[in-house]
Amino acid sequence: MAKTNGNVSIKQLKKTYLDGKGKPVFTAVKGINLEIENGEFMVLVGPSGCGKSTTLRMVAGLEDISEGTISIGETVVNKLEPKDRGIAMVFQNYALYPHLSVFTNMAFSLQLNKVPKAEIKKRVQKAAEILGLTEMLDRKPKALSGGQRQRVAVGRSIVRDPKVFLFDEPLSNLDAKMRVQMRTEISNLHERLGTTILYVTHDQVEAMTMGDRICVMNEGEIMQVADPLTLYKKPENMFVASFIGSPPMNLIHGELQIQDAQVTFIEEGGSGHHLGRIQLKGPLAEKAKTLGNRKIVFGMRPEHLNERSQCENEAVMTAPVSLAEPMGAETLLHLEMAQHRVIGRIQNDRLFKRREEVTLYLNLDKCSLFDPKTEQVL
Amino acid sequence: MNLETKLKTRKFFAHLFLILFILMIMTPFLTVIASSFSRGHFAPSKLFPTEISLNHWKYVLGIPHEEVVNITTGETRIIKADVVPILWFWNSIKISVIASFGILLLSGTCAYAFARMKFAFKEQTMTGLLILQMFPMVLALVAFYTILEFIGQFAPSMGLNTHAGLTLIYLGGVSIYIWMIKGYFETISTSIEESARIDGASPFQAFIMILLPMSAPIFAVVFILSFISYMSEYPVASVVLQTGEKWTLAVGANSFLYEQQKLWGRFSALAVLSGIPITVLFIICQRFLVSGLTAGGVKE
Ligand SMILES: Nc1ncnc2c1ncn2[C@@H]1O[C@H](COP(=O)(O)OP(=O)(O)OP(=O)(O)O)[C@@H](O)[C@H]1O
Ligand SMILES: [Mg+2]
Repeated sequence: MAKTNGNVSIKQLKKTYLDGKGKPVFTAVKGINLEIENGEFMVLVGPSGCGKSTTLRMVAGLEDISEGTISIGETVVNKLEPKDRGIAMVFQNYALYPHLSVFTNMAFSLQLNKVPKAEIKKRVQKAAEILGLTEMLDRKPKALSGGQRQRVAVGRSIVRDPKVFLFDEPLSNLDAKMRVQMRTEISNLHERLGTTILYVTHDQVEAMTMGDRICVMNEGEIMQVADPLTLYKKPENMFVASFIGSPPMNLIHGELQIQDAQVTFIEEGGSGHHLGRIQLKGPLAEKAKTLGNRKIVFGMRPEHLNERSQCENEAVMTAPVSLAEPMGAETLLHLEMAQHRVIGRIQNDRLFKRREEVTLYLNLDKCSLFDPKTEQVL
Repeated sequence: MNLETKLKTRKFFAHLFLILFILMIMTPFLTVIASSFSRGHFAPSKLFPTEISLNHWKYVLGIPHEEVVNITTGETRIIKADVVPILWFWNSIKISVIASFGILLLSGTCAYAFARMKFAFKEQTMTGLLILQMFPMVLALVAFYTILEFIGQFAPSMGLNTHAGLTLIYLGGVSIYIWMIKGYFETISTSIEESARIDGASPFQAFIMILLPMSAPIFAVVFILSFISYMSEYPVASVVLQTGEKWTLAVGANSFLYEQQKLWGRFSALAVLSGIPITVLFIICQRFLVSGLTAGGVKE
């Protein structure tokens, strides 16, 4: 029963909040474009205040659109009431009706729509079954745990059988264990219903594990839209590089020095220092040559620093350990370069000491170079 | 003194204090009841009258009864009030109930607008209401009189000396209740109404089906407060209502207190009477006054 009209198309969408007198206060969304395919699980992720909720609420119809268009299916929905958009929304704080039973909470929209009683009962019971709420249909929300309440909120939207589900940080009020469980449940639900989902979170783990594609936002703009692996491997700018991954990509400001066939990255303020230099090789060196001598930001992921040599194009880095954090399967090593601190994620087979000099191999094929001015990848 | 006796004395004094305090509160109340059952019209000096008489009650309820009119000769006469005081009681209840429902309707809808909608001069209007309600109603007596007189020219049923006219003036006391209800609405997460809107409820439906049921406690409180205040309101009623059969309880009771002779007995009987509907109302409203009606809807 896969639906067909669940694609969402956002064009030049802009939102400026006005104060009581109609004066613009703050532009929360600055003209974004986003195409979400039918049946896709799209995650909107970004730091607090970047405009994720605002975008979602505009899709829902709870917030006026300042400029641009939103279409669901083939219909422009800018002027449509929320109930006519074919969407259902799950709020961060559940937003259940506290004076109504779980059953009535879930049945509310159908009752308003004058759906026959038997049909309502069938649909609510089916949703309750999917979510394991059958036993609780007579209870008030007060008598439910946080996870169960969130399930009721999800159930309430399933019952409406929408074209698009909208989730606004649905898991952020749950404890860590419950969050992991609900994460899988929502993913399974998506698998089962095949309905388009637009899911807002500021948790990058949630984004990476759940999304078919991820849209990274910052300060009202889209930084990159891609599937999780691309986002991780080929960040288009420094923001995405530092937002995705935990710990995030190390970004080292410095410059490229090209002498004959030798390409060296020299850390800012580290020219006279053996710790501040990285010899480039292979494709990365070739690319650096086309860039010439210039200022640059060098990006390396913690997991691409290894204790043993693993491939051909590697740079050897020797640096003292300033802090070692054993995590069990691996150890996070904080290394002191000339000026910057770099984090390496090392497969663990021994304890490291503070101040100990370690030699690590950096996989150059996986490193990125950024322009320090535009912050875009080069 | 060991610890145990110390505790005991402390407990003794605590209880003594509490008992005295309760007596202090109860005495006036009991005095009123006692005086309504006593013979004669004096304020009784005893808490328990030696001679119990139902004459005051009979008078108030409009039951003809014999009463001594001349103490020296012992002459008696059958007495029945021209305007039976119980009528004032029904007048009071009618006006208070209608005005209180009107207050609920007006303050509930106004509070919704102030709590949830955006419009020009919202802050100023709110402050204006607050400042206006700081002036007692009595200050505007002249204005009320003139306004009702004016209205009376076109709609005599709403002019001076009518219950409708008095109710109209009473409805002017909404501002404090608007503030109260608005404060309550603001504790309710807007996402619940947004949810209802997505579920297909119109703003009016969301208000009626979602917000109102969740706000039952504050509406009960507002109803009780306004009911009590209108049951006992005197200055405005005494000016607007001019003939005996229109009077409210407070105005009627006051009519027993002549300059030369204060008929405390009848006054007390009316006072006790006025306490009854308030008590009944409290009992009815108690089930709405439960806390936690909004619990569980949102995660704070
Ligand atoms: N009604 C409003 N008036 C003015 N500014 C607002 C209003 N609502 C939100 N904003 C601002 O718009 C920006 C984006 O808000 P939004 O709620 O979309 O953030 P978010 O990305 O969802 O953040 P979070 O992760 O904290 O929920 C914020 O800086 C916020 O201060
Ligand atoms: Mg948000």
